This record gives sequence, structure tokens and C-alpha cells, in this order.
Amino acid sequence: MKENGLKIKDLVTIGVFEVIYFVVMFGVGMIGMVPILFLIYPTLLGVVSGTIVMLFMAKVQKPWGLFILGMLSPLLMFAMGHTYVLAVHAIVVMFIAEIIRKLGNYNSFKYNMIAFAIYNTWCCGSLMQMLWAKEKYIEISMMMGKEYVNALERLITYPHMALVYTGAIIGGFIGAYIGKMFLKKHFIKAGIV
Amino acid sequence: MYCAQTYRLNPNPITKFFVVGLLGFTVLHSLNNYLEWCIILIISIMYFINGFKKEGIMNTVVFGILFLIPNFKELANFPIIIKMIFSLLFVFRMFYIPYSAGKFLIVTSDVGSIVSSMDFLKIPNTISIPIAVMFRFFPSFMEERNNIRMAMKIRGIETKNPIKYLEYVAVPLLIISSNIADDISKAAETKCIANPIKKTRYITVGIHMIDFIYAISITIIVIGGWICLY
Repeated sequence: MKENGLKIKDLVTIGVFEVIYFVVMFGVGMIGMVPILFLIYPTLLGVVSGTIVMLFMAKVQKPWGLFILGMLSPLLMFAMGHTYVLAVHAIVVMFIAEIIRKLGNYNSFKYNMIAFAIYNTWCCGSLMQMLWAKEKYIEISMMMGKEYVNALERLITYPHMALVYTGAIIGGFIGAYIGKMFLKKHFIKAGIV
Repeated sequence: MYCAQTYRLNPNPITKFFVVGLLGFTVLHSLNNYLEWCIILIISIMYFINGFKKEGIMNTVVFGILFLIPNFKELANFPIIIKMIFSLLFVFRMFYIPYSAGKFLIVTSDVGSIVSSMDFLKIPNTISIPIAVMFRFFPSFMEERNNIRMAMKIRGIETKNPIKYLEYVAVPLLIISSNIADDISKAAETKCIANPIKKTRYITVGIHMIDFIYAISITIIVIGGWICLY
């Protein structure tokens, strides 16, 4: 393998961090049980998972590390029955995040922070697929009454999705700052990074 | 994770993954109700011939309940809050068909066959090693989390503040995990994982009759359904 390519150690680290990320994702996903709250789910996920991904980026400062980490969770969700929309959406998002990380030469905090904020928008893909499958959903909920369908039609729109994306990016920034704080407070002291 | 008894009746993970992907399209381009029932029944039969009787029955029953819910006329008179909660079931009903195929994929395939089918498809190491590690690491992750909880209880640390709790649990968890990652990679290196020759696997995947039956019957139903609809 090349000098700066991913080594076995990095690949194992990706696998381990992916498990932690996935467990956190499911834990946060429980708030989706209350119907309106899933709109702020990306924001909350960003705040909580910031520490994990920032620690990962501090540990693996190599090309394509973030891309592989980011692609595994959509792939798993795809295997559990989400549509192809999620996977395609994630490839685009991860590619942008990877390019931004490359601009900062993989070790600048500023660029890593922006990369994480972009990375965090991947879970908006699961809401995007709701938007595209809207007709079928409305057809099923027709018997719930006219006012309900109207409320639904007003709720699921492109401008609202833009708000969700903004929320995800803001959540990403907050999470990245919390992550930086934790890195300084604990992980550097413990000799992990 | 359980493991199916007979490999001859169990399609390989590649076929199952293909079916999940194909059924994912049915969320956006919907099928006729009868055909949806056909797909669910095929998946149930697949569970049955692999010896998962309970899962097979559950699969049909759950879809039956989800199928009937939108027909209750009384729901329309409920207050909006209860409607909101019921609407979650509607979302679940939309995604149930690909979800059911995905559950079949996860329940009936073991790690060895997933890894060796990734070899078969010539998926590079950079993807297959993290996936194999995930399966290995998941049980020990749960164990470590319980250990931390127990340690907190023994020392009498209790906090209701979620941010504090997150710090107390997440920081040791991340430190332990990154140490485990180092250990796993040392163990893998000593077993010569970096050796670039072709590896022999304990479990090999092959193409049997059942792969063709499963894949082709689902493909015919889905494609046929779309052709009839348009």
C-alpha cells in the first residue's frame, strides 16, 4: 500500500467508530416517534454525534476515511429497507465533505468542522425520500380527513426541507465545537489523539 | 446472530441484497395491492423453508394489520394528535415491503457468508474490512457500555442532566473503543490480513436453484406490476 493510503489499522478504526455512530443514531432516532420532532432530528444528531466524528477525523487523517465512514451507515439502512434515494444522496454529500477535508489538508480544525457540518446532512436523505413518495403517502392518509391531508401537504414542501438542511448544518457546527472541547479536555490528556 | 441450517435452501446474500434494492423502488412507484400480498407471502415462504417459522408468521400478520389500518373509518373522527401518532404506522406501512426483505437478509445470513459474498463480488478491502469489524465489535460494544453503567452505579454517580450523562458515558466509551480498535488491528496484522494473495474462506457462497427462483419470481412480480399499471 502507498504511504498515505488507508492501512488496516485505519479500516478497523472506521468499523469501530461506525458501530458507535450507528448506536447513537438509533438512540437519537427514538425521538422520531413523536411525529413533528423528526424535522429537528438532523440537528440533534449533529450535536450528539459531533464528538464521535471529530475524534475519528483526528485519529484518521488520510484521504477517503470520512467517505467510507459516511457511506457505511446509508448502506446498512439500505439493507434494512430504505430506498435508493438515501444511498445516492449520501454519495453526493460524502463526496463534497471529502473534498472540503482535502482543502484543509485533513488536519485543519476549520475545514474539518465544515466537512462535518456537510457530512451531517446525509440523514436529510431519509426525509427527502418521504418528499418523493408524497403522493402515495397522501393516498393512504386520504381517509384521515380533508384537514389532515391539507396540513400534511403544507408541511412536506421543498422550502421546509431547506430549513431542515440548515438545521442539520447548524447542528453540525455546534456538535463540532462540543467535539473540539472534549478533544482538548479528555482525549489529548488520555493520549488517544 | 443465528445461522440457517441448510444452505441449499438459503439464497446467498447477493441475491437477497438485489431483491431488497429492487423492492426499494416500490416505495416510489407503487404496486397493486394483490401483488404486494404476493411479495409478502413469498418472503414468508422463504422464512418457512429455512426453518424460521415464527418470523414467517409474524411477517404475514404484521403486514395484514398494517394493511387493514387505513380502512378504519372511525380514525377520521379522532383528534389531530392521535391522528399524528397513527400516521407513523402509515409511514411504516409504506416502507414495510423493502423492510421485510431487508429483515430476511439480516436474519438468515451469517457474517461468514456476507464476507465471502463480498469477496465473490470483488468488493475492495476498504469496504469489506470495516463491515466485518462492525459485526465483530458490536457485541463487545454493548458489553463495555453495560460495564460503564455498572461502574457508575458502584461509585454512586447518578445524574439526570443529559449533557453530563453524555459526557460521563461517551468519553470512557470512546477511549475504550479506540483502544479495542488498536487491539483488533494488531490481531488482524498477526494473522496476515495484509497478505495480498487470494484468501480461503470457511464458508463459500454458491449459486443454487433457490437463488434463481427467489430473484426471478420477485423480479417478475415487480416488473409485471409496473407494466400492468402504466
